[in-house]
Amino acid sequence: MNKKWVGTDVKRKQDARLLTGQGTYVDDVQLPGMLYCSYLRSPYAHARIKKIDTSKAVKLPGVVTVLTGEDIKGYPLPTCIDQPGQKSVDGLVFPMAVNKVRWAGEPVAAVAAVDRYISEDALELIDVEYEPLPVVVDIEKAMEKNAPLLYEELGDNILVRIPATFGDIDKAFNEADHIISERLYEQRYSGFPLEARCTIANYKSADKKLEIWTSTQGPFQARSYISRVLNIPEQNIRVIVPDVGGAFGNKWVWGDDIVPCLFSIMTGKPVKWTENRMEAFMASPHSRDYIYDVQVACKNDGKILGVKSNMIANYGAEAANRGPGAGPVVAAGFSLLGPYKVNALSIDHIGVLTNKSFYGAYRGYGKDMANRVLERMINIMSRELAIPPEEIRRKNYIQPNEYPYRQLSGSLYDSGNLPELQRRTLEMMDYDNLKKDKERLRKEGKYIGIGIAAKVEPSGGIPTNAFYAGYEGVSVKITSEGGIILAHGLVDIGQGTESTLTQVVADELGVTPDDIRAIIGDTDMTPCGAGPFSSRGASWTTSCTVNACQKLREKLLKVGANLLKVKLEEVDIANGKVYLKKTPSKSLTIRDIARAAHYFPGVYAAYPADMLAEDASLEVTTYYTAPQPPVSWVPPICFYTTHATAFEGAIVEVDPDTGILKIKKYFTTHDCGKVINHMIVDGQIHGGTLQGIAGAMYEELQYDENGQLLTTTFMDYLMPTAAEAVDIQIDRIETPSPFTPLGTKGAGEGAICATPSVIVNAVEDALGVTVKRTPLTPERVLSLVKEAKQKKTI
Amino acid sequence: MGKTITLTVNGVTHEASVEPRMLLVDLIRDKLHLTGTHIGCVSGKCGACTILLNGISVKSCMIFAIQADGADIVTIEGIAKGDKLHPIQEAFRDNHGLQCGFCTPGMVISAYQLLKKNPDPTDDEIKKGITGNLCRCTGYTNIIKSVKDAAKRMKEGEK
Repeated sequence: MNKKWVGTDVKRKQDARLLTGQGTYVDDVQLPGMLYCSYLRSPYAHARIKKIDTSKAVKLPGVVTVLTGEDIKGYPLPTCIDQPGQKSVDGLVFPMAVNKVRWAGEPVAAVAAVDRYISEDALELIDVEYEPLPVVVDIEKAMEKNAPLLYEELGDNILVRIPATFGDIDKAFNEADHIISERLYEQRYSGFPLEARCTIANYKSADKKLEIWTSTQGPFQARSYISRVLNIPEQNIRVIVPDVGGAFGNKWVWGDDIVPCLFSIMTGKPVKWTENRMEAFMASPHSRDYIYDVQVACKNDGKILGVKSNMIANYGAEAANRGPGAGPVVAAGFSLLGPYKVNALSIDHIGVLTNKSFYGAYRGYGKDMANRVLERMINIMSRELAIPPEEIRRKNYIQPNEYPYRQLSGSLYDSGNLPELQRRTLEMMDYDNLKKDKERLRKEGKYIGIGIAAKVEPSGGIPTNAFYAGYEGVSVKITSEGGIILAHGLVDIGQGTESTLTQVVADELGVTPDDIRAIIGDTDMTPCGAGPFSSRGASWTTSCTVNACQKLREKLLKVGANLLKVKLEEVDIANGKVYLKKTPSKSLTIRDIARAAHYFPGVYAAYPADMLAEDASLEVTTYYTAPQPPVSWVPPICFYTTHATAFEGAIVEVDPDTGILKIKKYFTTHDCGKVINHMIVDGQIHGGTLQGIAGAMYEELQYDENGQLLTTTFMDYLMPTAAEAVDIQIDRIETPSPFTPLGTKGAGEGAICATPSVIVNAVEDALGVTVKRTPLTPERVLSLVKEAKQKKTI
Repeated sequence: MGKTITLTVNGVTHEASVEPRMLLVDLIRDKLHLTGTHIGCVSGKCGACTILLNGISVKSCMIFAIQADGADIVTIEGIAKGDKLHPIQEAFRDNHGLQCGFCTPGMVISAYQLLKKNPDPTDDEIKKGITGNLCRCTGYTNIIKSVKDAAKRMKEGEK
């Protein structure tokens, strides 16, 4: 079929709404009689709660009620992902602290009041007596024998540990000419969407129905989770997700939504909780913060024989029961080999508990950690072996004719062409001349670094034993007046699927995107969907949409042929009409068919007999799940559905006097298979790249040794402004995925995965010394300059 | 205790009883129900609440409502002319200058202010002009492109 809309840069449907202030984010919603919930959060990172006195707060005019941890201990938070090698903290994690607090920012009490000002005033009237406990924030200290324990019941602070070996690792290391070892660290940072979390709970006692407006990327998972915690039958819960002001994995947690629900149940009134910015930093999901200790066995020519990866991530106070945080070190393990053919891999990846805020998902979800391991090590190898980094990569790539390729750790890569991506990026960078320029400028005292990295971007991941398992559902319906409605569970968090999926429908039904409206973000109104995590839209939801449309198309053709009194083979569909192939002027519009099927002559005359008996409708709902679904967490497994790829590069200037880095230009050649809308994919690359640069250079959630977060505003947590924006040049090839009907692949997370590798590699290239930790603040760069001068590498 | 103030927002005059500590952004959103002005930090850092106050762009979370007594305010709802988008809004739509849209109203107001003062800005001047507005989605690439395109459209519109 001729694809008129897929591959066209159609402007987004939602933009007029969002540009004129007509968008609806949860905090914009006011319900009659609504109360406002505020949390009192612990100032201590680790302490026993001796006593909480709420008597003064309750008496403040305007306060309706107050809850503490003691009041809600009948509502423990359940495990969200259950992996082998993961300990259970079920029964120990609650929406508010019970007995003891485990991080500075953990809720200890909450107030419901008639307005937000009074609600926050009342927090100051709650007296809490704490008995401080020893604090542990450091990864290695948390692993020590006598470390303070987050959960005494576990016996140590290890929440997750998954060792696994693939291939003959001893042979690989015995046969190696070199073993390159390094121990590196990446700091704690996270997504922090500009719209913080916000939830309204509205309980109606007569129907025992709980309606929840919330800014989340998983409306159906929210429904299941809240049903489980509150023991409310799931059919009585409706989750509404209007416009979402960014998510990046962070809005995939619902622990703080429980108390507003309880307040609404208690008071019979709607209750709103709006997270403030300081709460967002202190008590929403954190990410990264890991040590990776790697050994690479290789030959003299740069051929990689085997990799040993020991990774320890700082999971903070909790990672398993508020959201999906337990998974990243595991995902890092089975994504680790990226685009390379390596015959032996040994991983020992650990998630350790400390007194920092809880761990969650942030764009990448371990695939970023996976990228760091080899893309950083190849750079280090390059200096030790004196082989250019592009040569080492070229020597180790999976070749284009080897796809579909079963990676050692189990992933089935659909398609790709890394040698070509590398060639195009290096050409775009004018790499050979750039290298010469670099040497010339160095003599003039200017330090230019060239950084490169390859990446595989696994997407459409599907964990088992998790709230995040499941399937994607899509309904396509034609109303009695010929309106086309697309309903699905993939909420739009900025990635534009409200619009792009209508491009898919338009092609399949021979109409235009303007003829279609998408209904999303309401568990009462759409089929169940896993939702936008793991860059799912282009793999799962798109595929499901195609399947639904093809079935609906068949129905339209059958009813059309019946009404035209011809055989099915004699008709086709285009331009909003079912027409006779021989005499295209003889046709019925979709509206004609819809009206006929509903009113005149009506259902009994419009449908052919077989449809009348079984499915007299112009509606289709289909479901989709991964074609190679994993049945356990035990590797080797294929966790992801599609695998996009890219090769990226950057030119970075290091100022040896100030330590300031300037990214002169960033380059990427991207391949996410068939592209539905280039404008939108480019937007994902722009945004992800700057987030990756932020991780390499600016952002850090800094804790002191007492577990106090020192970066609680945008003045301390250096989220990039327009002044830090970089010039990005994008090239593209399209290697279609054989696993999806349109050849599409997910593309939301790739840029952030490789960018920090590229920037750090560039700085190493400029200075000739190893960067052992990020972010590359001026202070840290100056100490690298000093080291380089001592080692005479500059 | 409330004090009554009078202010004009998008050409409509309102009277409102406000507590002295009420922030202007809360008045605009909660009392006047103009929810296009957003709250991202309540500390003047993110710019999501940017409005025009007496013709100057300000962060409405940094001003008490009471200080706006007698003021003439324009919010994002007052930028388009009916269904016709302002050239800045058109440029943002056509250049994919927004993703989640949460920073967008503040960003459009800052761009409006910038282009009023400097109808033909360079990329660096654009970056400087919107540096008080954080965006987490776009990497600013397409926002800068949108503002540049808006300048061109506005100039052509004058012809």
